[in-house]
Amino acid sequence: MKRIVVDPINRIEGHLRVEIKVDETTGKVEDALSSGTAWRGIELVLKGRDPRDAWLFAQRICGVCTTVHALASLRAVEDALGIDIPKNANYIRNIIAASQMVHDHTVHFYHLHALDWVSPVAALKADPAAAAALQNTVLDKYTLNLSGPVSFDTSAYAKDFPKATTAYFKDIQNRIKKVVDSGQLGIFAAHYWDHPDYNVLPPEAHLMAVAHYLNMLDRQREIVIPHIIFGGKNPHPHYIVGGMPCSISMNDMNAPVNTERLAVVDNSINLSIDLANGFYVPDVLVIGDLFVKAGYVDGGGLAGQRVLAFGDYPEDHYSGIANGDYFKNLLVRANGVVENFGQGVAKATFYPLEGKDLSDPNVLAEGVEHSWYSYPETGKDLHPWSGVTSPQYTGPKEGDKTHWKYLDEAGKYSWIKTPKWNGKMAEVGPLAKYIVVYTKVKQGIIGEPTWAEKFIVDQIETVSKLLNLPPEKWMPTTVGRTAARGLDAQLSAYISKYFFDKLVNNIKAGDTNVANTRTWDPATWPQEAKGVGLHEAPRGGLSHWVTIKNGKIDNYQAVVPSTWNACPRDSKAGYGAYEASMIDTKVKLAEKPLEILRVVHSFDPCLACATHLYDREGKELSVVRTDPYL
Amino acid sequence: MDKRDTLWELFQKKNISRRDFLKTCVALTSLMGLSTELIPQVVEAAEQKPLPPVIWLHGHECTGCDESFIRSQSPLASDLVLNMIALEYMDVLASAAGEPLEHHLEETISKYAGQYLLVFEGAVPTAENGIYCMVGGKPILETLKHAASGALAIIENGSCAAWGGIQAARPNPTNSVAVSEVVRGKPIVKVPGCPPIPEVLTGTIMHFALFGQLPPVDSQGRPKQFFGNRIHDTCYRRPFFDSGMFVENFDDIASKAGWCLYKVGCRGPEAYNSCGNMRWWNGMSYPIQSGAPCVACAANNFWDNDPFYERLPNIPVPNTIANADKIGGILAGVTAAGVVAHGVASYIQHKVHQSKEEKAHGAGQQPEGDRDNE
Repeated sequence: MKRIVVDPINRIEGHLRVEIKVDETTGKVEDALSSGTAWRGIELVLKGRDPRDAWLFAQRICGVCTTVHALASLRAVEDALGIDIPKNANYIRNIIAASQMVHDHTVHFYHLHALDWVSPVAALKADPAAAAALQNTVLDKYTLNLSGPVSFDTSAYAKDFPKATTAYFKDIQNRIKKVVDSGQLGIFAAHYWDHPDYNVLPPEAHLMAVAHYLNMLDRQREIVIPHIIFGGKNPHPHYIVGGMPCSISMNDMNAPVNTERLAVVDNSINLSIDLANGFYVPDVLVIGDLFVKAGYVDGGGLAGQRVLAFGDYPEDHYSGIANGDYFKNLLVRANGVVENFGQGVAKATFYPLEGKDLSDPNVLAEGVEHSWYSYPETGKDLHPWSGVTSPQYTGPKEGDKTHWKYLDEAGKYSWIKTPKWNGKMAEVGPLAKYIVVYTKVKQGIIGEPTWAEKFIVDQIETVSKLLNLPPEKWMPTTVGRTAARGLDAQLSAYISKYFFDKLVNNIKAGDTNVANTRTWDPATWPQEAKGVGLHEAPRGGLSHWVTIKNGKIDNYQAVVPSTWNACPRDSKAGYGAYEASMIDTKVKLAEKPLEILRVVHSFDPCLACATHLYDREGKELSVVRTDPYL
Repeated sequence: MDKRDTLWELFQKKNISRRDFLKTCVALTSLMGLSTELIPQVVEAAEQKPLPPVIWLHGHECTGCDESFIRSQSPLASDLVLNMIALEYMDVLASAAGEPLEHHLEETISKYAGQYLLVFEGAVPTAENGIYCMVGGKPILETLKHAASGALAIIENGSCAAWGGIQAARPNPTNSVAVSEVVRGKPIVKVPGCPPIPEVLTGTIMHFALFGQLPPVDSQGRPKQFFGNRIHDTCYRRPFFDSGMFVENFDDIASKAGWCLYKVGCRGPEAYNSCGNMRWWNGMSYPIQSGAPCVACAANNFWDNDPFYERLPNIPVPNTIANADKIGGILAGVTAAGVVAHGVASYIQHKVHQSKEEKAHGAGQQPEGDRDNE
């Protein structure tokens, strides 16, 4: 039995460490731990601030999934204060969220995940002419011919299409060769390019994918242009409580939003549709298909057992989140938990997640059994509205407090708490969202699917046909987790277009309002209020919880997707999603655990999001700071 | 040490023409905000200076600065990362992980001792010997000090590295500080912003790649070419400020007309950054253009200058009218178009001109790494 440490995990947001115990003869992972190794305390910083500023602070939880924490924070504060936002603001926020989804997934697949599947070194062996032929085959076979509702298609033709010429691939190959020959590999340095898994794909697929890696590195910036127009910048675009600051006027030449500005947004949305259809979806499906055919259907972990999602994209007005109204008005009604999808959709069990569930400590709670915090009552989990964080750093099992050898899986070993649904662990993310929607539609729980829900079902069934496997076989795997993200990017690009159409039609009808400022003045607020903001973010279900007292933030807590997935184990609930998926993965060479990188990356880890927990009392931290170890 | 390619040598190896090389130099000159008279010097620098190895470390951060970095249009991230610098360590983009990656870091530090550029992103948590940010099983505080000792120069990338940032806002639970609080005796340039404008960051790195030294900086250590003016000085809405035409509430008629956001909290009058002139996405927009007041995200400790919708005190408006409230009162009773423009420079504008004139004689904008004390 060998104990392997991978720290830092690369190509992610934040600081993550994993340790695995591998049986070297069988390659079986006997145990695995996932540890968030940094803690910033942003929610503590939020305490006492103006709730109208909360989104600005919360947004800085993460700059990769930028904007998602701002949105969840705005929804939490608006929920607490009973503020309705205008239609246009809802449409604009949905466009920002959907374009973020396309962008985040695209950068994740090409720049944070692709190098677990493809290698620039293997690309050197490719025949450029065969690569060009492969590109044509891929476009023919792996393009999903689905499209969302578009009331007026402004795009005359697909402007961005993969190049499929010998000269193009020869040029890319020559450039890679020069980098390799120079000996200065830069970002490609020091990796185990000799790992046998880089032989699963033919050299031509490596060359095609590396070419797209470079292409998308330069095109991704254009996907988030809606953030620049509506929010002024990216990362970290601007909002206001009650709506959006970007006033709309067709009568003023200096207006933040006018026809010219809308045309810029429209161009970007058209591009994002082209990039998803022509690059991302075919690329992820051909790679996935070849890996599945080679027998790689592992890494499922919790996905086949229990997944959770909140759903998103309010169509229009909703009166609140805490009261459950939010769930009734969503374009993607993924709110709920699905158990045992791995046994097939017919045998899976769906559990709804509704408004009253959100405030029930028996339904949602966080524990700290293996986290570097202590709770007032040992073993009693706490609901986020009454969350407590009292740091209790205990150091590693071997090594000392500032120099670790091995962390202590029997004790505390992470700055991430353990969130639970009904006392159980669940996986979240695009795969979870797709499993929940698919199960609800196929079991008739959703009687009349929205166009987006139907789109999800069509995507899943088309891919199942392509792979010649039922959904329960390919979805709860590493490949399935990665493929679901690509499908979600395609869906999200059309969702941007859908809400852009709604925005245009609403302006056409004479409504240019973007902000409700009737309750802007804190004097109009109740003395005490609490709210929750939900968002189905790129990495899964996100919730922000706020308590407001006398016009100031009294308590702030965020339970984020990477908290659900990267959390440490629990003696009753079992393993978290990362840990379970690593245990479900076979490792060929213990010293070069490429498979572990691939399965952990398939979650798109976002660690700054996960480790930011907050001490409700505030005082405890000042005590803690006098402790020599904290 | 291995000989490293210059930009010109790279162009030659790729069979790109001298003409294209010179065009690139012209583009770079304008990108860096330098006078066209300096084109010969840029060409010379690109021909002779080797490409610098870069080590990029992460402390307490959100990775927004990396995301901003890859949004750069000129240069494009691909050109910068694969052709203009040798990015030997950056865990966000690196293929490798864990021990091989950490080993490569050590190799790079010793192989290029005294030659590499260190980019640090995020704040440095110092409480309890740095245990609040552990990377590779040890505090990032320790790795930073180690990597800094062999660096030729250091870039503090973003407001967290430059000032401590959000985790250093009150009550600063992890006692987070700027890089320059824990590293001394090295040339350090601050590139603040939350995040920095993409081309401000890549422009600073390009300056180093071309000239082999940090760009000229102001008294706070920021490149003058990007932080020499307040947003207020270059804001396209400035004439509305000077004319006393203000947004009073979000989404009011003045907001639709795109008037000045000072009274809803805009920090432009105290924010040194390039949002007003360069804007984001090469001129596409910036928060003010999208109707949002500036929060001065590049300023020291801006997080504790909240609440952000409270207007800055004591920024005098045009000196024909006493204060913004009075103007607001007038505005409320007058139709929007009826407000008369007051073409009088504000006190602030006046002071800026005055101070520039005083310094004019010593201000040949040579690309030297000198710090002047303003």
